[in-house]
Amino acid sequence: MQRRLSSSYRGVILLLSLAMIAVLYLPIWKIELSAPQYPEGLNLQIYANRIGGDVDVVNGLNHYIGMHTLHTRDFVEFVVLPYIIGGFAVLGLLVALVNRRVVFYAWVTLFVLIAFTSMIDFYRWEYNYGHNLDPEAPIQVPGMAYQPPLLGYKQLLNFGAYSIPDWGGWIFVGVGVVLAALVVLDLRLRRRAGGVVPGVAAVCVLLSLQGCTAGPEPIRYGQDICAFCKMGFTDKRYGGELCTKKGKVYKYDDLHCLQEALKAGSPGKGDVAGIYFVDFAGGPWVRAEQAYLLRSSELHTPMGSDIAAFADSVSFRMNQGKFNGQLLTWKDLYR
Amino acid sequence: MQNPRLSFLIGGLLAVSMAIPSCKPKNETGVISSGAAEKTYVAPGKYDEFYNFVSGGFNGQVSVYGLPSGRLLKIIPVFSVFPENGYGYSEETKAMLNTSHGAVPWDDQHHLELSQKDGTPDGRWLFANANNTPRVARINLATFKTEEILELPNSAGNHSSPFCTENTEYIVAGTRFSVPVGDNQDVPINSYKKNFHGTVSFIKVDSVSGRLSLAFQLLLPGVNFDLSHAGKGASHDWFFFSCYNTEQAHTLLEVNASQRDKDFIMAVNWKKAEEYVRDHKGTAGKASYVHNIYNEKTESASTTTESQVITLDPAQLKDFVYFIPCPKSPHGCDVDPSGEYIVGSGKLAALIPVFSFTKIQKAIEDKQFDGDYGGIPVIKYAAALYGEVQKPGLGPLHTEFDGNGNAYTSMFVSSEVVKWNIKDLKVIDRKPTYYSVGHLCIPGGDTKHPFGKYLIAYNKITKDRYLPTGPELAQSAQLYDISGEKMEMILDFPTVGEPHYAQALPADLISKNSVKYYKIEENGNPYSTKGEKLAKVVREGNKVHVYITAIRSHFVPDNIEGVRVGDEVYFHVTNLEQDWDIPHGFAVKGAANAEILIMPGETCTLKWTPTETGVYPIYCTDFCSALHQEMQGYVRVSKAGSTTPLTFGTNLADSAVVKN
Repeated sequence: MQRRLSSSYRGVILLLSLAMIAVLYLPIWKIELSAPQYPEGLNLQIYANRIGGDVDVVNGLNHYIGMHTLHTRDFVEFVVLPYIIGGFAVLGLLVALVNRRVVFYAWVTLFVLIAFTSMIDFYRWEYNYGHNLDPEAPIQVPGMAYQPPLLGYKQLLNFGAYSIPDWGGWIFVGVGVVLAALVVLDLRLRRRAGGVVPGVAAVCVLLSLQGCTAGPEPIRYGQDICAFCKMGFTDKRYGGELCTKKGKVYKYDDLHCLQEALKAGSPGKGDVAGIYFVDFAGGPWVRAEQAYLLRSSELHTPMGSDIAAFADSVSFRMNQGKFNGQLLTWKDLYR
Repeated sequence: MQNPRLSFLIGGLLAVSMAIPSCKPKNETGVISSGAAEKTYVAPGKYDEFYNFVSGGFNGQVSVYGLPSGRLLKIIPVFSVFPENGYGYSEETKAMLNTSHGAVPWDDQHHLELSQKDGTPDGRWLFANANNTPRVARINLATFKTEEILELPNSAGNHSSPFCTENTEYIVAGTRFSVPVGDNQDVPINSYKKNFHGTVSFIKVDSVSGRLSLAFQLLLPGVNFDLSHAGKGASHDWFFFSCYNTEQAHTLLEVNASQRDKDFIMAVNWKKAEEYVRDHKGTAGKASYVHNIYNEKTESASTTTESQVITLDPAQLKDFVYFIPCPKSPHGCDVDPSGEYIVGSGKLAALIPVFSFTKIQKAIEDKQFDGDYGGIPVIKYAAALYGEVQKPGLGPLHTEFDGNGNAYTSMFVSSEVVKWNIKDLKVIDRKPTYYSVGHLCIPGGDTKHPFGKYLIAYNKITKDRYLPTGPELAQSAQLYDISGEKMEMILDFPTVGEPHYAQALPADLISKNSVKYYKIEENGNPYSTKGEKLAKVVREGNKVHVYITAIRSHFVPDNIEGVRVGDEVYFHVTNLEQDWDIPHGFAVKGAANAEILIMPGETCTLKWTPTETGVYPIYCTDFCSALHQEMQGYVRVSKAGSTTPLTFGTNLADSAVVKN
């Protein structure tokens, strides 16, 4: 078994190391923010050692909703990350020098570890940033959190937040793709057999980008039928939708049907990306986890669940008074 | 091996980069439909359909636009000096800006209200508020001149003003800042809860002359009154005021005044308040505030100081003031054309509550109260509520009505105008504004009979709407056609100052009464010169009065000698023209105040104190005729104590040189 690397491999590894050094100086990730009164948009750029872009403007805006201000000095990441990336680049040079396949694989593993930890850390940071809100903030929307998306687009009040890799991030992704290719090619050479499609790596990357699954679709009354009971939609106040990770949308005319469909495993639990309910008060879709559910026999829903969904506590309470029902959450209904 | 590897890499990256942008929604670009130009085009020589009176905000003036063209027709000086025509500088108008703090050259003008008869604009007067040094003004819409300014005592931040009742019985003025009221005003700021009070003034408007007088003031808890509107029809006897900072914070209000879930709409039965005043239930207190009146006959303003104000304390005199809880720091407080629905816009709330006047009356009758606030009963929220508009948008501020059962609310944070049905409270349409709309205006949109047709959004942020002009930009306004089910943006136009509230009404309610010029024989200015032969220069000690006439294209006299350094020279310029749109201007070199514009038949006075000897040119500044550039003269200034005789004259054949 061959234990050394080919010279072309060593060349590519050298290039990848240099590319990683470039990552040290380029913005790695960016969060683009857009709002009606910011037609020019606002940018947050994350470098290995600092936050850049319109940080001051964003900090100024965020105090309205009680988000903490962002300061480079508050993040240990910005101290550690340059060493990690730089260290990885230096190790790459060593890999080329040492010229051992085992060492190369160790290096690849390290890359995967760095990539995953970074993303997990980034998510954790975004979560804290979006959820740890000052309880005395002037604007408080019940149930609202402002966690930016890890990847892709999300609407946060009047701001649309769009999170994607920046130049450095793309280089990082590129390095990953090339590493994957090297691994695949190496494995194939070793086995002296085909079977592994070279595109696998790209497909993997693509799959990992499915952060932007399709949301709910409007119900076309008079055309659509319930995916479970197969009856037409009659009452605009009730119903819900299941959106799968593949982007398929199942529409139900009553929470009863939606629950039964889930119970029946069609679609399967693992496939569901989002559950949305019709807002009884006529508002836009309500996310199941955030819905205020009212069960009352006086509601007379199409298929007898007698459950209506509300986006907020005020409209819920108003209707609770009217229909004498009890408050439920999606958790109560479905575990 | 190289090639497939490379293409594989590029392919992978391409796939990734293409997968992502598809997730980001496209921005709405606010494309204007092709018919928009036709709808807003007013052909050369044609008139606009509506007058649009727009508050000037920080310029302290009122601007007048034509709709639907968006053309700026005039700037009416009200609370700020206007060197362009001499307002606030001329001897005749200087007194208009007097206050108890002395002459104040600037103010912040926020809201306008047209006088009404039976709940409909009658085109007689326009009322304006001054926010900074609390005052209200009355503008005569026949002359577009500010005729009266009344200062308000016990007030600071006159924001909740100058909204009027259905027959202009009263205009109101509520305080944005609560302040210490009474004899001892030197108190610690942190004694806010104990010592600070808000007040709401009811200002009587004389139905014939329009003359203002402070009828009575309500002494209220220390909160911030924001906006107000009078009831209509069944709710005619009532006035509604929004207020925030019921937390009674005195520092960092941004946070500290946003803590309570609900603040209040205050309902005041002003008929009942009138009764209390009539029955001498009020307290007559001392106050010092000024009242400036521009007398049309003498064409000059004078200031009187008032010394008394009648105060009603609703905590003692019961049953005429009530608080209604309203979510999250309400701003706009708007009453629908029927007078039944009162819309409160909590600027931090995620919904718009609509209160029912009938339910409020019932709640008062049944005493459905939730305790009191500062001795004033608080009606139960649910007992007053008609319903809530759910998810209307972010940052609701103001609501106007089209008279067809629809309400239109401006959304500051989400930058849009949202149309909703008053009865079922369902949102019908929403259109973006550019950017961050504050007030909006529909012709007659806050009256009993809205004229509808158009809606104007006055925005706070302009950014990329027009060619850049450095850091300071004009404010942007957008005009929407609201005659259909859906609103349609048809025009975007820049405005001067910073517009807040605005009013609009059909043009002929005003245009037919518009004064074209002043009749010279009716000129009652004591310094007028009704003919060139009467022109003269008179010395009274160190005061020199120049009675000078202007007619195309000369002044009489135009050569003056015998003025000395240290003299106070008063140029009393009478425009002898009796024709439409022939004003003359007057300027003298080194004048430290302004020029003056004199309308046909009018007399205006510019004071000038020369400080150095020399010969000073005077000239007409308003291009009046082909020989405008010849309309000039000289004033010789000799040193103090000089014996140069006072002479004046012209070389006109018919007037000859008149000598003293």
